[in-house]
Amino acid sequence: MNPALSRKLVEVTADTLEKMAFIFTFPAEDVAAMEGQIQEVVRVDFSGPFGGGMELSLPSSALAELAVNMLGTEDGEELSAEQQRDALKELINVVCGNVLPVVAGHVAEFNLRPPYMVSGESPIWDDPAAVGYLVLESGACRVRMRIDRSLAQELPGLDAADGPP
Amino acid sequence: MAVNLLIVDDSGVMRSMIKKSVQMSGLQIGEIHQAANGREGLNALDQHWIDLVITDINMPVMTGEEMIGQMHDRPDLKSIPTIVVSTEGSQTRIERLKRKGLRFIHKPFSPEMLRDTVKDVLGSEVFYEPSA
Repeated sequence: MNPALSRKLVEVTADTLEKMAFIFTFPAEDVAAMEGQIQEVVRVDFSGPFGGGMELSLPSSALAELAVNMLGTEDGEELSAEQQRDALKELINVVCGNVLPVVAGHVAEFNLRPPYMVSGESPIWDDPAAVGYLVLESGACRVRMRIDRSLAQELPGLDAADGPP
Repeated sequence: MAVNLLIVDDSGVMRSMIKKSVQMSGLQIGEIHQAANGREGLNALDQHWIDLVITDINMPVMTGEEMIGQMHDRPDLKSIPTIVVSTEGSQTRIERLKRKGLRFIHKPFSPEMLRDTVKDVLGSEVFYEPSA
């Protein structure tokens, strides 16, 4: 696991949640806040100079707020479960699109596949390249990134993006 | 003059966000058409008079870049103003799109960013006068 990449993942996720859905978060060190919560898990896979995927787990209870804030619905208007999950898919899509240039530089071209909800049949990520946690009002969320080659120390964007200590 | 829009994005939520942002912008809107990928976008362009295309890049079936390429190959579509709204972070790809005369807005975007870009592309005369 790459700590610098994990930090970037958390920063971009927090920024995207705030800008797209007006959901404010702060980083968390561990998973304690996630225990006992039912999570909705969404993934997006990408290909390019290197392949991989990104995953976001969010409390089910936060989905409605996420979708309502993104869509700006009228008071009392209810959104379907499909619309709520569509909002989550768009969120991971934007997070992924904003993380990749941070870690791979602004010249590399990536293609993102359509995001999908994770089910029991989805492959398990045993060794993600990065993982981070965020606490929000309705619980905690986890964000992970998988990279299909062992290049955690070679990512061109990380050194520059990290800046001086 | 009312502007007919085509919004191309595989996310229904993002299409709704763009639609709502445009509706809030003061743009004089005629019809708003939607498509979930580049292929559907080209079909919509064949069926309707469109004054402005707002499109994503990464989509299944046909990407936005492929759709724009086909638009530029057709004399009847090549001059339609097009704004790309995408998470795209590759300057290589963004510059390639800009060389085709397209405008680019990075997600996440604000309604003001979209309004200002549409105003730059179409001119302020297609916006309602702000009330005094």
